[in-house]
Amino acid sequence: MPIKWILHWQPNAGTTVNTQILSEVSQCAESINGVKEGRWKTILSFYRAMVREQGSANEFPRDFVGISLAEQPSKYFLVIRGQRVVVEAESNIQMIMEKLQSYKTRFVLTFEGNQYQLGDFQLRVGKVVPTHSESLRGIVMEMEYQPISSWEKSHQIMGEFFDLWQEALSKRSLQGHFVHLEPNFTEYGLSDQYTLQHTAVQYASITAQMISTAQTVQPNRN
Amino acid sequence: MECVVQGIIETKHVEALEILLQGLCGVHRDSLRIHELCLKSVPNLGLVSSEVRLLCDLEQPEPTWTVRHIGGAMRGAGAEQISVLVRTMAESKVSKNALRLFYALGYKLDHELLRVGFAFQFNSGAPMTVTVSSVNKMLKLHATDEAVPVTPGIQLVEVTAPASSENYTEVAAAMKSFCEYLAPLLHLSKPGVSTGVVPTAAAAAASLMSDGGGTTL
Repeated sequence: MPIKWILHWQPNAGTTVNTQILSEVSQCAESINGVKEGRWKTILSFYRAMVREQGSANEFPRDFVGISLAEQPSKYFLVIRGQRVVVEAESNIQMIMEKLQSYKTRFVLTFEGNQYQLGDFQLRVGKVVPTHSESLRGIVMEMEYQPISSWEKSHQIMGEFFDLWQEALSKRSLQGHFVHLEPNFTEYGLSDQYTLQHTAVQYASITAQMISTAQTVQPNRN
Repeated sequence: MECVVQGIIETKHVEALEILLQGLCGVHRDSLRIHELCLKSVPNLGLVSSEVRLLCDLEQPEPTWTVRHIGGAMRGAGAEQISVLVRTMAESKVSKNALRLFYALGYKLDHELLRVGFAFQFNSGAPMTVTVSSVNKMLKLHATDEAVPVTPGIQLVEVTAPASSENYTEVAAAMKSFCEYLAPLLHLSKPGVSTGVVPTAAAAAASLMSDGGGTTL
């Protein structure tokens, strides 16, 4: 299973993401000889607890996320960040969660864009938009290296590739940069061998980060 | 959605039932050893309280986990007229930390069981599964090695078949026909409608044991 880093775009203070940045990032992938190879898509749903009595102390999390990955559409991943739990299930689990009526889907984000092949690397650059909307909420990039499946062993080559990428992108003088968050996979009970569960944890982490950044930039927004 | 009927049989007649099922299904039996954990939502979670089952298949070299939700039974005049229970059922295989997930989500263990027996999967007008198992309870939390039967000397027989809102009448009819073959040994009915053991069981079992199931009942 190839290693993957999932990065999100951090706009400079006082700026926001826009489609111009997305287009520049895509052009950058092509300028370093990335060969466009079709589209990719990830869907992330926020589940919010349905509570009978508001305000009382609860023994359960306020929310968790459910993730569907294009490379394995028959699977579904549930992540509770607070308790560091990730579970891999079949897509049918969505129906079970719906029937239990204990958590409800509050909103759904789609991550989608183009895929580029660069030797042993694959880059996927895309927008983050709420379902049934075109309003851009973020920019995300998947950086995949196919020959290695150990998170630890791939760290150096991934870091070097990321530096090259940052250098290429810096020529475009964009208002922001890609950030690589490294979740503590051990806390989730995941080993060094990369799996789709690692991908799900990364998606949950960058989404939480994007939301908290958006809330810092726009403190009065509900 | 699934169609389901249940019945009970004395353990001493289970071997005869197995011979009969082997003859009827024409397939080999699968051994069954399932640790079933029934979880319920904590009081404040959800608009209504909910229940979910985690099944751990201990028969596999590496135990596998499934989440199962059994919904309400179909109601109304149509449902009354058919002899099997039609209910919603959804299942999903999950990774081994599913119990941790549901505990984290606000579910608590209500009870746990260990089902030990065998199952036949076959097609008789519709794809069906017959399971014959002894239901055991654990004396200590998760201690499947120290489980004891809930009803010694009695085993549970369950026939299930996947169905949809379009085909459930056909599936129910196929299931009813199949159950008639088993009638001399046990009576199968909707879950919750207990009909006990059948008086002909001993004679039918003796006959099956003597000719190895070669004679059609």
